[in-house]
Amino acid sequence: MVRLKHRYLLVNILFPDLKNAPSAPRPKGVDELPYAIQFHQPSSDRMNAKLLMQMIRNGVSELFGDYGSGMIAGSLQVKYFSQATSTAIVRVSRDHYRLVWAALTFATHLPKPVNQACVFQVVRVSGTIRKAEEEAIRRARLSIRRAKRDTKTAQKVGGSADGRAAELNEDKDINLEDVSGFADGIDDADEPGDEDESD
Amino acid sequence: MFEAHEKMKLEADAKPFIKCAIPDPLPYKDLPAGLKVLRRCTLVLTESYQNARLAELSRNYDVLAVRPIDERTLQLACSSLDCDIISLDLTQRLPYWFKFKPLSEAIKSGKRFEISYAQGVMGDSGMRRSLISNATQLIRASRGRGLIISSEAKAAVACRGPWDAINLAAVWGLGQERGYEAMSKECRSVVVAAQLKRSSYRGVIDVVYGGEKPSPSEKEETGKGKGKQQPVNGQKRKAAALKADEDSIPAVAGAENTSQPLSKRQTKRQAKAAKLKAISGQQDGQKG
Repeated sequence: MVRLKHRYLLVNILFPDLKNAPSAPRPKGVDELPYAIQFHQPSSDRMNAKLLMQMIRNGVSELFGDYGSGMIAGSLQVKYFSQATSTAIVRVSRDHYRLVWAALTFATHLPKPVNQACVFQVVRVSGTIRKAEEEAIRRARLSIRRAKRDTKTAQKVGGSADGRAAELNEDKDINLEDVSGFADGIDDADEPGDEDESD
Repeated sequence: MFEAHEKMKLEADAKPFIKCAIPDPLPYKDLPAGLKVLRRCTLVLTESYQNARLAELSRNYDVLAVRPIDERTLQLACSSLDCDIISLDLTQRLPYWFKFKPLSEAIKSGKRFEISYAQGVMGDSGMRRSLISNATQLIRASRGRGLIISSEAKAAVACRGPWDAINLAAVWGLGQERGYEAMSKECRSVVVAAQLKRSSYRGVIDVVYGGEKPSPSEKEETGKGKGKQQPVNGQKRKAAALKADEDSIPAVAGAENTSQPLSKRQTKRQAKAAKLKAISGQQDGQKG
């Protein structure tokens, strides 16, 4: 039996255009946050998975024409989208995932009702959706840890040291910051136990 | 590497002093402490005469890039100009083809070719088309080596993540490994080569330990011993110098404690000499 293999792209949406960011009115004191936190903002409420799918389809059609649209049409699906974390997991067929990836790279702003300048960054390509989810969780934990660390040092400088060092070690059994070994790319290789989620 | 971009047109009647136009403490908050910021200048080559001011320009910036506008200036940049990066404007329709020979000549001498993606990403359909066509040609003509990928972003919105840029290059014909090299290894080699051009001399990169000066009186003794070029006692020059060293070292050792410990060879020789002396003394005693 011939299995249809997929690739799951884990996509972050970044908003580096701080003037017209989605979260308006901007809460006070947000400009003191480091840029890494400011870029990862929650998206507007009008953005959803269907809009993202339309955007990807239009992008592929514009860049790769009818050939590209035809190739990805059968298996393109947005499996997960969260406005709060501005993260999405997109499923594509394994042979043509680079087309969808390129379309995401060439996208410059969110589509019509939302219309904000943004940057799409693919952080993980994996053969199963489980790996993609795990990676999303790992990254979220890492950014929380870093944010705590940064505000802790900022508070120390301000003069009131928060004794919360113990809380930062809650994930010490998992090595979150292990980002080595990406010389082969951010792709996860196909493992023998990989099984696709059924539609 | 955070890369700040400055394009300058060098005119014949430019000011006598060229200074780095990028401010020294950058006006951004929260840059990490360990981040090393390099400054780069991109020069648009409009004339194709050799320009001696290039050396002065390269002295003030860490990396010097050159942007040729037609085939003649490209040939000049590849062969004889002293630059670190050759960065072409790939969003224009170029009237010439890339050939492997001049490109490989440039790569062998340490220059790298740059593919900038931001103009095509943000711009309109025509620029995108030219970028894709020219980048594909460049990748094919250079056989995937000697390229670096960067954005030429005017704003943060035009930047893309490193793997996104590598994927774009992969779509345009550069393999995944070559793309990763282009993003990491080749960029580092450009920076290091530029630094070596500016700070090394005849293959010497850096002097780590230059040795110590010998103490002055030792130097005098050995100087006297070595000054004698004729063989002494039938020995050759080097042996005479070594003998002079031996003789001088015990003499000095009493005076100051800076003598080096005697090597095995020297101790053996001294022991032999002492034995011979003792024997000859005995014989003299016996004789006399």
